[in-house]
Amino acid sequence: MSGVQRDRSEAGTTDAPEAPDAAAPVLLDVGCLKVHLRLGHAVIRAVDGVDFQVRQGECVGIVGESGSGKSTLARGITRLMPNVKIAELSGNLRFEGRDILNMGDRELRTLRRGRGFSMIFQDPLGYLNPTQRVGRQIGEALSQDATTGSYESRVWALLDEVGLPDPKNIARRYPHELSGGMRQRVMIAIALASDPKLLFADEPTTALDATVQLQVLQTLHRLHRERNMAMAIITHDLGVVAELCDRVYVMHTGKVVESATTVELFENPQHPYSARLIDLSTRRISQEHRS
Amino acid sequence: MSDSKATAPAVAGKGIVPGSWQAHFANIVGTRHGALGAGILLVLVVMAITAPLIAPYPPLEQTPVSLAPPSWPFPFGTDNTGRDLFSLILYGSQSSLLVGLGAALAALLVGGTLGILAGYFQGPVEAVLMRLIELFQTLPVIILVLCAVALFGSNFWLLIAAVALAIWPMEARLVYGQYIKLREREFIAAARVADLSTAHIMFREILPNAIQPIIVQVALDASIAILIEAGLGFLGLSDPSRVSWGRLLFVAQDYMDSAWWMSLFPGAAICITVVGLNLFADGLNEIIDPRSTSGMGGLQ
Amino acid sequence: MLRFVGRRALYAVPLILVVIILMFSMLHLIPGDPVQALVGDYPVPPAYRQAIEEKYRLNDPFLVQVSNYLINVAKGDFGFSYQNQRAVLDLILERAPRTILLASVSFALAIPLGMAIGVAAGTTRSAGTDKFWTTTTLIVYAVPTFWLGQLLVMFFALHLGWLPTQGIGPMVSRAQGFAWLLEKLRYLALPVLAFGIHEGMRVARIMRASVIDTISQGYIITARAKGLTRGQIIRRHVLRNSSLPLVTIAGYAFGSALGGAVFLETVFTWPGLGLLLVDSIRLRDNMMVIGVVIFSALAVVAMNLIVDLLYAALDPRIRTVR
Repeated sequence: MSGVQRDRSEAGTTDAPEAPDAAAPVLLDVGCLKVHLRLGHAVIRAVDGVDFQVRQGECVGIVGESGSGKSTLARGITRLMPNVKIAELSGNLRFEGRDILNMGDRELRTLRRGRGFSMIFQDPLGYLNPTQRVGRQIGEALSQDATTGSYESRVWALLDEVGLPDPKNIARRYPHELSGGMRQRVMIAIALASDPKLLFADEPTTALDATVQLQVLQTLHRLHRERNMAMAIITHDLGVVAELCDRVYVMHTGKVVESATTVELFENPQHPYSARLIDLSTRRISQEHRS
Repeated sequence: MSDSKATAPAVAGKGIVPGSWQAHFANIVGTRHGALGAGILLVLVVMAITAPLIAPYPPLEQTPVSLAPPSWPFPFGTDNTGRDLFSLILYGSQSSLLVGLGAALAALLVGGTLGILAGYFQGPVEAVLMRLIELFQTLPVIILVLCAVALFGSNFWLLIAAVALAIWPMEARLVYGQYIKLREREFIAAARVADLSTAHIMFREILPNAIQPIIVQVALDASIAILIEAGLGFLGLSDPSRVSWGRLLFVAQDYMDSAWWMSLFPGAAICITVVGLNLFADGLNEIIDPRSTSGMGGLQ
Repeated sequence: MLRFVGRRALYAVPLILVVIILMFSMLHLIPGDPVQALVGDYPVPPAYRQAIEEKYRLNDPFLVQVSNYLINVAKGDFGFSYQNQRAVLDLILERAPRTILLASVSFALAIPLGMAIGVAAGTTRSAGTDKFWTTTTLIVYAVPTFWLGQLLVMFFALHLGWLPTQGIGPMVSRAQGFAWLLEKLRYLALPVLAFGIHEGMRVARIMRASVIDTISQGYIITARAKGLTRGQIIRRHVLRNSSLPLVTIAGYAFGSALGGAVFLETVFTWPGLGLLLVDSIRLRDNMMVIGVVIFSALAVVAMNLIVDLLYAALDPRIRTVR
């Protein structure tokens, strides 16, 4: 965390992420999305009427504290809800104009297999199959329409692209034989295998060591630029947002309380909750500096 | 199974303290199969207690009609010596329940004590006890019980002891596991700091927190004990002086070609009892860990 | 990994020793004449009595007796069954293959059956289907094998007359080749059905719980995010990972079955180790009892080792640990 912040303060605000291209077509359009979960008799309004947009090639941040509904939002949009009882799932959910909320399983799978959206998660160890070699796990995610190169060479190319040295060796390893940072890179390789236009990253660096966090973020940033791939980063860490995102949505108790460009948010937060988040994170950083 | 209405604490508003005994019981009854299990057990207990009152014949009385098929005077038929099977099954519930309850409680006493000792005193005591448990768990339960019968004969009370001896390691493991989990928790540490006695910490602080999974295990142990008792009866190795469902099957083995009822009714009685105990345990388990019995919805 | 298994194997040795010593010591707990306890309920000729006393040094201190017995066992001498007029080991070796056959074929039925039910119940989207299978397995598993056996005999053998009621077939058979095999299978069918269904229910219950645990894991979400089909997810990611607990429990159950499927062999008069054990207990032929029990312990320990190996083969995490 501190590494990220320090890096930004070293770089100064002059190197702020490039301004979002307002003319770029909208890739993902979410309108009044509601995801209500059932827990016993209670209904939890985890996501309660959220409007949210991602344009082609831009990087959007979703920030909020734990329990603010930001993860559920990402799971709801990607239709990757874990095994919970859903009380209500409604709203307008369009990816490239296609309605994904009411999309059939088959169509949804096609979208996930190629040129659609992918997702990476906070805990790469839990999200990788412990009994399969990572090469195979990446291989089964490869988009089928791409025809260049053999299966293996494409896996190696992906491992290389996410910055892992010696891809041939890594491909033969099992998840538990890799470090946390390497595992997250494997996760990213899996997500990239389907050539997504949009990548959701749910707390991608939270489980990693401070030094590794920065490296993984830099890799994500590089991939975002090189592939011209849109990203939606879900995080509680404003440092990550400052590092990567063009625009930010601030979430609180299932609602978006503020949406602004990153620069606007940091310079002039409109909602008191946003201001408090910024205040908290700067205070934390100054504390870390002092110690 | 994943019916949330059934698993939710349904009693919160009725003046029963959540987490209390009454609440636990109400919850078991709240789950449908837990209630069914409890109901079956209740009927069995009533059957066992009132057998002398409701049985049409004393257990050993031989009527003049042997091998009579089920009919109005003999609803379950009669056996080869003319005894009324309906009465025999009523009386047989006494043996089954006694063995089930007796062996399970004895196993809890032995296993629980040793499990507590192993969990509470770490080091050599723990190591020795764990090896002992492993030793007992190497041999199949039925082989252990058969050894005991081979050596000491088939007296009814010895049988209970033998079954308890064979199943205590399961209790010991469970209790030990619960202790390991709980002994690091703050309230135990707090009790130690407050200088409470070892016995106080064990029985007043730890035990109440470990009790639910233990009850589940006791119910499952009882079903195993009942199956073993029936099995020994079926092998002709149970106490010949007591009516036992298993022993009825032992006799039925020779009359399978002529008297199906001699096998059908005692066997069904064993099954219903075991199913009742398992449903009860399942219902309780579901309350402890609702996730363990919920199916999946999301694998699209 | 080999060292891990090696250590487990070494660990098994004292376990077996303790079982043997305990069994032998227990004989001394029985009140009465130790020679009679060894030989069983038979009048013992004085010459034989003397031979026994000398062989097992029954007049020496207890420790000498035990070590003497251990040495004999190590040499493969489990004693002599007076009532069978055969060496104990001889009879065990004659009976064991039949029990192994019965147990193997039964488990070959039980494991696929149970896994299919477990996966179906664990992965279904319908609460009704899951409930149907959990209830069915609970009830069927509560049916004791000996009663299930009786029911099968009464229906298939006595009522329909399709299959023989008991035994392993005629001692002398004129059938040749395929007809011989068919005849064997006819005798095997009912015991295997009873045993296979019973163990299959156990497998199904373990498998269902394990599948439910597996599909709540993160990597299943990853697999869904990859756009895999339901079938692909189950085949590639659910089956192998949820078989791990099954290996342990089914392995132990199989080991126990090798030590004598007591009830089953009694219902079907299948002359394996289980029937041998029960007959020996009825006749108080304790030499024989000890022999079968030691064999049973060996079978369980051997199966545990195989389970360890299988586990390591299935789970790469075990292979690198230690």
